[in-house]
Amino acid sequence: MGYLGQIFVMAMTAIFIQNFVLSRFLGLCPYLGVSKKLDSAFGMGMAVIFVMTLASAFTFLIRRYLLIPYNLEYLQTISFILTIAALVQFVEMVIQKNAPALYKSLGVYLPLITTNCAVLGVAILNTKAFHADGITPYNFLDSTLNGLLSGVGFTVVLLAMAGIRERLEFSELPKSMKGMPIALILAGIMALAFYGWMGFKI
Amino acid sequence: MMYYAKLGFILLIFCAVAAGILAYVNGLTAPVISQRKELEETQTRQQLIPNSDFTLMSSADSSFSFYKAIDKSSGTTNGYAFISEGTGYSSRIKTMVGVDTLFQVLAIKIIDQAETPGLGAKCQDQAYFDMYAGLSETDLFVDKDGGKIKSITGATITTRAVTNSIREQIAILKKALIAGGDK
Amino acid sequence: MRFFSELAKGIVKDNPIFVLVLGMCPTLAVSTSVKNGLGMGMAATFVLICSNIIISLIKGVTPPKIRIPVYIVVIAAFVTIIDMAMAAYAAELHKSLGLFIPLIVVNCIILGRAEAFASKNNALNSLADAVGMGAGFTLALVVVATIREILGNGTWLDIRVLPQAYDPMLIAILAPGAFITLGFLMALINIIKGRK
Repeated sequence: MGYLGQIFVMAMTAIFIQNFVLSRFLGLCPYLGVSKKLDSAFGMGMAVIFVMTLASAFTFLIRRYLLIPYNLEYLQTISFILTIAALVQFVEMVIQKNAPALYKSLGVYLPLITTNCAVLGVAILNTKAFHADGITPYNFLDSTLNGLLSGVGFTVVLLAMAGIRERLEFSELPKSMKGMPIALILAGIMALAFYGWMGFKI
Repeated sequence: MMYYAKLGFILLIFCAVAAGILAYVNGLTAPVISQRKELEETQTRQQLIPNSDFTLMSSADSSFSFYKAIDKSSGTTNGYAFISEGTGYSSRIKTMVGVDTLFQVLAIKIIDQAETPGLGAKCQDQAYFDMYAGLSETDLFVDKDGGKIKSITGATITTRAVTNSIREQIAILKKALIAGGDK
Repeated sequence: MRFFSELAKGIVKDNPIFVLVLGMCPTLAVSTSVKNGLGMGMAATFVLICSNIIISLIKGVTPPKIRIPVYIVVIAAFVTIIDMAMAAYAAELHKSLGLFIPLIVVNCIILGRAEAFASKNNALNSLADAVGMGAGFTLALVVVATIREILGNGTWLDIRVLPQAYDPMLIAILAPGAFITLGFLMALINIIKGRK
C-alpha cells in the first residue's frame, strides 16, 4: 500500500469510521452548542480544523524533542494544554492583525477552542497512533495530517447537525423536547447512521 | 514591556512549581506502576503455562523477547510465553500467549485493550480465550479468512487484530528459536 | 449557612450536566457502566475540589490578564496527579477510562467553576461549590450509566439485575445509545420543571 493509500485509509477512519464526535465523543460541547445556525457552524468548523492541524504538529514536536529525550512524559498533559492555549492565543492575534475580515467571522470561536476536548484529544491520540500495519507509529507528517482530517470529520458532522437543526426550528415538537433533548436524540440517530460505515450488525 | 515580562515570569513560576510537584508524584508512582505491571505479567504467565519456571530469552538481534517455560518438577521445556500486539478498532490490544514446544497455543489472555464495551471488549471473556487453545499457526485465522477463530463482532476488527498478531508472533518466535539453535 | 447552600446547588438546581449542560464528552463516553461512571465522577470531583481551593487561595497573586493560563496549569497538574495515582492504585479503572482521564483538563465544568466561582470566593465556599458540583456531576453520570448498563448489559455495577434470558439491547452501550439516553433524560427533566 503506497503512501496515498495510507492517507486514504486515515481520511476514511478520521472522517467516517471513527468520527471524533459521533464515535469518540470528543468535541461535544461545540457540536451541541454552536450547531444552531449553519454559518456559525461553518466558522467554528474552519477554526477547529485550523487549530487541530497546528496543535497536532506542535505537540508532536514537543513530545519528540522535549518530553521523550528528557524523560518528562509525565508532563505531557500540562505541556500539551499550554501549547494549545498559547497557539489559540497566537492564532487569534495573527488573524486579528492580518485578516480582519476572517477575524470577524472566526474570532468569537477561537477562545472556545482551548477547551474543545477534540484538540487535546487528537494531540494525545496521535502519540498512541499506529499505521494500519500495527508497527509504525505516526511520524510528524502523519500526525499533522491526522489533525487536519479529524478536524474535517468534526466539521462534516457539525455542518450536518446545523443543517438539520435549522429546519427543526420550524417543526412542531413537544415542549419538553425542544432544544437540547432533540439535539441529543438527533446526534444519536446520526451516530447510528455512522455505525453503518464500520460494518456493524447490531 | 516590563509588565509583560512580569506576567511571563509569574506564569513561569506557576509552571515550575507544578512541574516540581509532578516530578515528585511521578517519582512516587512510577515504581508502583512498573512493579504492578510486572507482577501482573508474571501471574498471567503462570496461568497460561502452569507449574513452570520462566527464563527471559530474546532473539539474536534482540528485537523480540519471550519467556521459556521449564517444568518445575521434571525440568523439561513446557513451552514459551510471549506478548503479541495488534491494532484493534480503538486501541492497541496486547495479548499474552503461551505455546507448547510444537508451537500450538496452550492458552491466551488479553492483558491490555480499550475496545468498544459490549462489542470488541468481549475479547476479554474466557469463552473467547478458549477458542485459541490447541490451534497452530495454520489455523490461526478468523473464519472469514479461512481459519478456525469465530469473530465476536460483525466487523471482525478486534478478532482479526488479536488472531493475526498471535500468528505473526509465533512465526517470529519460531525463527528466533531456529536461529538460536534452541529447540 | 452559605456553605451548605453552595454545596446543595450543584446537585439539583445547577446540576452541571442536566441543567448547565457542561462536560458532555466524559458524560457520554464513560457512562457505559456504573463503575466507569463512578470512577470518572470521583476523579473529576477530586480535580475540581483541589483546583477550586488552590485557585481561590491564589486569586490575590494572579494577574487578571494571565488568569486562564494559570488556571489551566493548576488544573492540568492535578489531572496528571490523579492520572498517575490511578495508574498505580486503580489500574483496571485507569485502563477503561483511558483517554478521558487526561481530558478532564478540558472538562468545561472545572475551568467554568474556576472562572465563575473560585476566582471570586473564599476557599471554604469554593470547597463547598466544588463538592456540590462534583457530586452533581457524579450523580448525573451514575444515572445515565445505570440506564445504559441495565439496558445494554442486564447488570448494575456488574451485578446481574435482569434475568439471563434478557437479550441485552447492545445499542444502549454503544455511542448512539448514549446520546439518545441523555436526550430522553433531559426531556424528562424539562417535563418535571414545567410542572412546578
